[in-house]
Amino acid sequence: MEKLENIILKLGSIDRRIIFLIIGLAVLIPLLRPVDLPIRPGPSSQQVYDAIDSIPDNSKVLISFDYGPSTRPEIHPMTLGVMRQLLDQNRGHKIYVTCLWPDGLYMAKDALKTINKEYTLEKYEDYVLLGFRPGYEAVIKGLENNLRAVYTVDADLTSIDDIPMMEGINSLEDFDFIFSGSAGYPGSLEWVLYGPTTVPLSSGTTSIQVNEVLPYVQSGQLKGILAGMPGAAEYEALVGKKGIATSGMAAQSYGHIVIILFIILGNLAYFIKERRERKY
Amino acid sequence: MLFSSLFGAWIAAFLTLGIFSYLFRDNPFYRIAEHVFVGVSAAYWAATFYWTQIYPNLFGRLFPIDGPFNNFWVVDKGHEFSIIYILPLILGIMMLLSVSKQFNWMARWGIAYTVGIAAGLKAFGYLKSNVIEQVASSALPIFDGNTPWFAISGNSIFNNLVIIIGTVSALLYFYFSKEQKGAFGKVTRLGIYFLMISFGASFGFAVMGRISLLIGRFNDLINFSTADYNYATIWIIIFIVIVLGFWSFKNPEKSEV
Amino acid sequence: MFLRRTIPIFIVGFFGAFTLFGWFIENESIKAFINDDATQWYDIIASFAIFLGALNLLKLQSLKVLKRQSGWQYSLIAILSFLYVFVIGFFMRGAFFVEISSIPSNPDPMINLVNETTALELNSSYFVDVNNENPFRIEVPFYTDSSADDFVAQLASLGVNSAVVPTPWGAHIQTSGGLFKWMFDNIFTPLSATMFALLAFFVASASYRAFKARNFEATLLLLAGIIIMIGRVPVGSLISSWFVMYLTVLGVGVVLSGLVRDRRIIFGWVLFGLLFVTILGMQMGWPIDKPTMFFLPALQEWIYMVPNVAGARAIMIGIGLGIIITSLRYIFGLEKSYIGDQ
Repeated sequence: MEKLENIILKLGSIDRRIIFLIIGLAVLIPLLRPVDLPIRPGPSSQQVYDAIDSIPDNSKVLISFDYGPSTRPEIHPMTLGVMRQLLDQNRGHKIYVTCLWPDGLYMAKDALKTINKEYTLEKYEDYVLLGFRPGYEAVIKGLENNLRAVYTVDADLTSIDDIPMMEGINSLEDFDFIFSGSAGYPGSLEWVLYGPTTVPLSSGTTSIQVNEVLPYVQSGQLKGILAGMPGAAEYEALVGKKGIATSGMAAQSYGHIVIILFIILGNLAYFIKERRERKY
Repeated sequence: MLFSSLFGAWIAAFLTLGIFSYLFRDNPFYRIAEHVFVGVSAAYWAATFYWTQIYPNLFGRLFPIDGPFNNFWVVDKGHEFSIIYILPLILGIMMLLSVSKQFNWMARWGIAYTVGIAAGLKAFGYLKSNVIEQVASSALPIFDGNTPWFAISGNSIFNNLVIIIGTVSALLYFYFSKEQKGAFGKVTRLGIYFLMISFGASFGFAVMGRISLLIGRFNDLINFSTADYNYATIWIIIFIVIVLGFWSFKNPEKSEV
Repeated sequence: MFLRRTIPIFIVGFFGAFTLFGWFIENESIKAFINDDATQWYDIIASFAIFLGALNLLKLQSLKVLKRQSGWQYSLIAILSFLYVFVIGFFMRGAFFVEISSIPSNPDPMINLVNETTALELNSSYFVDVNNENPFRIEVPFYTDSSADDFVAQLASLGVNSAVVPTPWGAHIQTSGGLFKWMFDNIFTPLSATMFALLAFFVASASYRAFKARNFEATLLLLAGIIIMIGRVPVGSLISSWFVMYLTVLGVGVVLSGLVRDRRIIFGWVLFGLLFVTILGMQMGWPIDKPTMFFLPALQEWIYMVPNVAGARAIMIGIGLGIIITSLRYIFGLEKSYIGDQ
């Protein structure tokens, strides 16, 4: 027993570079040799899915791309999933895309390019890319007041007045659903603080931001939340199309297990050390 | 593949692996990557903010196509001339002048404006969404005959009670005007337990987020290790390992005291 | 004193009060100013602050180079990197498109040239309706106008009419394929994303070294974190709830061993607990997800949506109240830290 305790004590003070190496391998190996793990959608992801499912026919849905390339693995599958869910329903929904981040425009263009390969879409009939406007929460307030003052033209410099699906859209209140793919500021928080209270709002955020916006989910200000990459993978499972989020889940799982094992090991070493110090 | 794409991939792989080399120890590759990041990000944000804020919103309103200064300069961003935008221009220039020691008080005016606006905007927004709505949402039904007693997920009387007790006790913990002892102390202790659970959850999510970012980076490095990119990642790893090995031999690590 | 202290305090008070009370005033011009202009000014001044930061950075790094302080070579790299991005951001469009307005009867040499130069995979169907009113834009831009002009000359030698279309200033930093975007994709994004990703390793190392269950609160924090981490990922749904029940029995035994001296009680509890779980499992057929409260994904969801929300909500309300009070203190001039006063 003492020998085992000595081994644990020794493991309790290993060089941190060994820890780095083990963590690195735990994340890298499943990416090189993919492992299929079952994804079980949780209630908060299900809530987002159900909220989008329950919007009336021919709804006008605003999707806000509030993230950049560095958080793409987490948020991009969510925005793609929302568009796929809307289009799979075949209920005449229209997609309006806005961006509060300058990088969000690249993400939006990329997402629309992907969706256009999967579905036969008519620009300005099925979707419109309104584009990026600077001003953070001022944009949201401006959109709520007078959308046509904020967006006189879309991302391709076509006048808003010449776009058929923009008819009747004068403010955020004219939308039937808003989804924000958010990686920080401005994002979900600003949509809740400054957005319209009469339009259902849902969001997908990075894992780090989840706890910050969770009380809004419980209070109903947000209709569910897609929490980080696991949330994105759950949503992909609900929509029925696996993507980069699902493929990253094995690496995510093993990374977590390794960290937990290190925590347990560290604590075991701590308790053994404490007990020995008490004895002597 | 375009040369710019191939070259870009090698640069990206080198900088990524340079940053990761810090895991071994502080070394010249990391320092180079770090200083490149410092220089590039300062200029990137300056350019982005100029072209997305100052150019369209400030100059676009001071020099519109049909403004009085259209002989001097035209910035056509669909705005109308607005003379009041001379004020943020003046405040902005004062802010830039403050880089000199003699004029460093000038930044205070611009900072004062941003503080004032932030105070006015945030106060109401946070009051509405973060205080009133949250307090209202904490008023959950606990005497409702239709709500089940207990459910592991979804609405239940037990869950609602836990949320109410947790929110109140945790809020009471932040009340430092009264000594936290006796019955009050027991309630605040309970509040601390709820806060600890919240911090533990935040820690879990933070780990999740970081691992997700790491997955993103590794996916890029794996992509750059293919034949399309001339095995960029592999060559750069070999290069960095050899150079670092040699450098470490010449510069042994000082043992930690 | 008047310029350095009184005016800033007045500015904060005036604009703060104006913006705050603007929420309650139903005057169109005031609302328009607050909703649009006031926040635009805020963003414009914040943008100038970014410039100030960049200037200060240049100043500090330059001083280091000039005085040859330790690590001055790295400061030189920082300055050169800054200048590189500054030049491509402010002085180079970096995105010149070529638009083809007419093609010869045999477009194949033109198509080959375009595909070779731009790595696109175009074919003749892309050029079917090309004319002056409907030119075809090659979606891969050139970084310089001279390279675009050279390409136009090459196309002209093949009988193709084309023109260089420079990207407007402002749009050049967001144009896909442009020089600024190249820098963003291959330098800025890898660096910023990797800096954040590096934290994954340090979180692991810090958890291992510092995360000790020294007391009940720390144990609670640890357990909540561990349950969330395992329950949120697919591997959590592969762990049977019975395994968790056995762990719980043993865990309670460990806690009891610290509280109770009589080892027979501890042994009795552990034996009873293990037997109870085993018999219950045999009766229920060992379903992986029942009892639900010991199934990690379900347990994680409960912790996430119930006690965690309570704690997070208390923090949110506390922060909200703090922000309101601090905002009012700034508006009433009681808080003057922004001008360096205590």
